[in-house]
Amino acid sequence: MGDGGNRGLVGSGNSNNNGGNGSSGNKPEWLQHYDLIGKIGEGTYGLVFLARTKSPGNRGKSIAIKKFKQSKDGDGVSPTAIREIMLLREITHDNVVKLVNVHINHADMSLYLAFDYAEHDLYEIIRHHRDKVNHAIHQYTVKSLLWQLLNGLNYLHSNWIIHRDLKPSNILVMGEGEEQGVVKIADFGLARIYQAPLKPLAENGVVVTIWYRAPELLLGAKHYTSAVDMWAVGCIFAELLTLKPLFQGAEVKATPNPFQLDQLDKIFKVLGHPTLEKWPTLANLPHWQQDIQHIQGHNDNSHGLHGFVHLPLKSPAFDLLSKMLEYDPRKRITAAQALEHEYFRLEPLPGRNALVPSQGEKVVNYPTRPVDTTTDFEGTTSLQPSQPVSSGNAVSGNMAGAHGVPGRSVPRPMLGMQRMQPQGMTGYNLASQAGIGGGMNPGGIPMQRGVNPQAHQQQQLRRKDPGMGMSGYPPQQKQRRM
Amino acid sequence: MAANFWTSSHFKQLLDQEEVDVVNPLDKGKGITLEDFKLIKMHMANYIGKLATYVKVRQRVVATAVTYMRRVYTRKSMVEYDPRLVAPTCLYLASKAEESTVQARLLVFYIKKQIPDDKYKYEIKDILEMEMKILEAINYYLVVFHPYRSLSQLLQDAGLNDITMTQLTWGIVNDTYKMDLILVHPPHLIALACIYIASVLRDKDTTSWFEELRVDMNVVKNISMEILDFYENHHKPINEDRISAAANAALSKLALKP
Repeated sequence: MGDGGNRGLVGSGNSNNNGGNGSSGNKPEWLQHYDLIGKIGEGTYGLVFLARTKSPGNRGKSIAIKKFKQSKDGDGVSPTAIREIMLLREITHDNVVKLVNVHINHADMSLYLAFDYAEHDLYEIIRHHRDKVNHAIHQYTVKSLLWQLLNGLNYLHSNWIIHRDLKPSNILVMGEGEEQGVVKIADFGLARIYQAPLKPLAENGVVVTIWYRAPELLLGAKHYTSAVDMWAVGCIFAELLTLKPLFQGAEVKATPNPFQLDQLDKIFKVLGHPTLEKWPTLANLPHWQQDIQHIQGHNDNSHGLHGFVHLPLKSPAFDLLSKMLEYDPRKRITAAQALEHEYFRLEPLPGRNALVPSQGEKVVNYPTRPVDTTTDFEGTTSLQPSQPVSSGNAVSGNMAGAHGVPGRSVPRPMLGMQRMQPQGMTGYNLASQAGIGGGMNPGGIPMQRGVNPQAHQQQQLRRKDPGMGMSGYPPQQKQRRM
Repeated sequence: MAANFWTSSHFKQLLDQEEVDVVNPLDKGKGITLEDFKLIKMHMANYIGKLATYVKVRQRVVATAVTYMRRVYTRKSMVEYDPRLVAPTCLYLASKAEESTVQARLLVFYIKKQIPDDKYKYEIKDILEMEMKILEAINYYLVVFHPYRSLSQLLQDAGLNDITMTQLTWGIVNDTYKMDLILVHPPHLIALACIYIASVLRDKDTTSWFEELRVDMNVVKNISMEILDFYENHHKPINEDRISAAANAALSKLALKP
């Protein structure tokens, strides 16, 4: 470990590289550039933390830090982390999440990616409208979100990158500040440069949410294109309009099997069955050939997409949506074409700040991301039991619970939640937090003395249990830490 | 960018030959000369290629691994980053980046089994620790562009894509990784230099084809000269055993007490 754990200079240099990790116990030197606020998410790959930079010039800037665990099989840095770093180091775009730093802790062989923090994501925005404010997302906001998402995706696709895991929780939106309301595409753990033929998802042992998965993938396509991302955008577009996932199939978790009959069924019910006439290469897809009785030859009993999304058949919005949900990937609209679509040329025109329409409309105040302040960078919960942590997906998807853990919303008593300095955290300069500065309470929520302000906030902002009445939610990959 | 060389980190990081030919002061202190430095890197490129045949990965992974290794030594000393550990670790890291992950224990197994020299023996934990140090050393830039892709396109364009020309040029491209060319020149120019050499060797008239290309032929010729010099100095076919013996002699300097 001779070289110390502080060389991870990505972007503008902000740390002095005097090697050695001896400065504060055995804590790596780079950690001293951040104030850790708390944990904001957890996934199969590791944990996500909210921190603020201490470096002069950028002081107080919010950063999401994604910590990758050492892979369990004793095989070093996970290939997912390697590929995410590899891509993020090459790309820069307004609508793609910005990797600001990479850090390594040689002592426990963990790897940290530091991103500009985004306060919101489409999962939370949709949920807020569905469960709290009870009205649709404003047209301007839907259009601006969609335009920026397509703009980011067009950049990725024109650079031969397929994201492969687009879903609402991976589409971040910046909170207050200079970039307010700007969309950031996140989580490149599954993204690929597709110059070379790609292995099927299942072959990589990959688990992704199936609701946004394109039909060619569900039917076992061996090679696929950027069109899979456009299908996901179509599903997300519909969800922004209706606040409900469009195709909510129940996932078959057995063995790595891309064939998800229920998901296909949900799609067919809305769009009708695909036909060889409309989609000639369908005949070559393995599951189309193998599973004749389920997939082929069904009566067309679809209800029609326009009915599901409550859009007039003739509207530009519907036209764009149906072109994104085109069965044949070769006919599906591309990101570049979608950006040119009439929908974006009609009032209200899309804008940079998707959350704040330029005039008239009432601004919706979206909740800030819940933070579990009782965890340290090791991810160990200290002293008192922590509040359930939101699956708030500041930088990434694949988060356990991105779609909810049934029963997790059981309120925990607030008693006994006095702010205590967890012992394990002293090395992380958390002392400053004990003073609870203004920055610690962005929501401006009145705080009681002696009560953990974050926990209080969390209590109010906690997600409703999305499992209720939503039998179709896919099973969890992993139970969240309580 | 990931797919456009001209906007990639690879392009932005290209160095001048003089910058590549700097022996780290720590190594210099051990008596390592520029010649030793080049020899050791060449030997390690061979070593990576050899390991790759045991663990069965494609040439592309080898090329990426060698590039990582060469990038490491533009910033780090061999004293602190033992080439005998850096080389297999670069192969390990490249296998992940190129989506054909090789298990660390497999690498360790083959090193123990196939390499008689004890100084090459390392444990899994050493490789895993070095993996992180290499990530830092190469500043997390992992995308590497290679001449292979442009090579096949260019051969086709020149109408030279028959088996003998393809094999010959492919072999010359492989040999370029025994030099630092990949750190200095854009990969398509390296590919062109290899085609140039092969067409001279095989008496193919490519003058008009080269003239039509909008590339700086001086650069292509300079790269070609460098490759030919290399062949001359190392007796084609390259004798890996001699390089290995000489490199190991140079490596032994690293262990000397100051």
